Amino acid sequence: MTNAMFASASGMAAQQINLDVISDNLANADVAGFKGSVAAFTDIRVPGAIGLGTAAIGTHLLFEQGKLMKTGGAFDVALDGPGFFIVRKGNQVAYTRAGSFERAPDGSVRNAEGWRLDGVRIPDDAMRIDVRSDGSVAIDTANRKAVAAGKIAVVSFAAPERLRPLGATLYAATRDAGRAVRAAAGDDAPTRIAFGTLEASNVSIIESMMAILAAQRAYEANSKGVQAADEMLRIVNNLHRS
Amino acid sequence: MDWMAGAMRAARTRLDAAAHNLANVSTDGFRKARADAELTARGILLRVRTTDTQGALRHTGAPFDLAIVGPGEFDAGGVKTRLGAFSPDRAGFLADAQGRRLHGERGPVFVDARTTIEADGSVRSDGRETNRIPLPHGSSLRSGFLEGPNTDAIGEMIEVLNAQRAFETAQKTLLAIDQVRERAVSDVERLK
Repeated sequence: MTNAMFASASGMAAQQINLDVISDNLANADVAGFKGSVAAFTDIRVPGAIGLGTAAIGTHLLFEQGKLMKTGGAFDVALDGPGFFIVRKGNQVAYTRAGSFERAPDGSVRNAEGWRLDGVRIPDDAMRIDVRSDGSVAIDTANRKAVAAGKIAVVSFAAPERLRPLGATLYAATRDAGRAVRAAAGDDAPTRIAFGTLEASNVSIIESMMAILAAQRAYEANSKGVQAADEMLRIVNNLHRS
Repeated sequence: MDWMAGAMRAARTRLDAAAHNLANVSTDGFRKARADAELTARGILLRVRTTDTQGALRHTGAPFDLAIVGPGEFDAGGVKTRLGAFSPDRAGFLADAQGRRLHGERGPVFVDARTTIEADGSVRSDGRETNRIPLPHGSSLRSGFLEGPNTDAIGEMIEVLNAQRAFETAQKTLLAIDQVRERAVSDVERLK
């Protein structure tokens, strides 16, 4: 009975983690560049006996492409295909697919949290900015047209699923993810940079809602397992009538 | 009386199995445990085994999530598993969440951006076969899918209830036997 009780309790704990991950996905469903995760579980096996329930073995990031949305923002860029932008803050380096940037007073291109996009500098007299599909940035000034203002670098990882999330949309390199390798971008490369566009999160609200319902019911079912084990222990205690 | 104790032990084992299965309704690739009861001359004998029925396939879209349709197992660094959630590690070999590499007929499976995995288990890069994931005859492989557990909450819930009631029945029978013996003891005393 105690085995059953612990197995059911582990199932309840697992569904709680499951729910945490789904809620985090849902909370970020409107965040551009966000990538959803799923919780992964494994059964606890004991040689020569019935297993002892389940255990969480972490979460998997899902790097499926999000939909591209036209925004018309001054410096909104989206990656259509695999890869990441490089952003820096101080001497920290991070990787992201969230491309909502703006020109800062010092000419650098930064996101709302102040992370600077690598490789681009917009001079003061820029009147119009254009980003081509290969990431090269051109500006028009009052008296010159199509002046080069740098190039947005795109990097890829051998194992992006093994990057370490730093927040909703930023990732740090890890040993397991491999080295950041410069990737070619452009119309005939696997990845294209779309200007005036943001990548929506890849979270499906409907699927997440269904997952919440399933997790809730599974939690309930496991709690019934605990109750049944408890009831049987009670019966054992009543075996001896005085 | 020993028989009833055996019946109660059997009910306990059934509950253990059902609770284990219930706990794993979200575990991909999980194989449910089943306790089969058998009546022998020495009472109820229970055999616990894992079942091999197919779990439902779930679309994930990740190119190296693999699901086997039919019998067969993946070889993840010597560990046999039905869970096909693989992704490349930093050296480019497919590995599971714990970092165990997937082994094909020609050693660990190497993949790159041009690699596809076909239904017959062949790993192809630019159309050329580079490795092969061994599958039993008649089984096929689906990439972009994961196999869910082969348990269902309804069936396991019923099993939990069954086990609980079987346990209660055995206990009631045990008490009845106990009562009969008690009567016997007191009646014998009165006859004296």
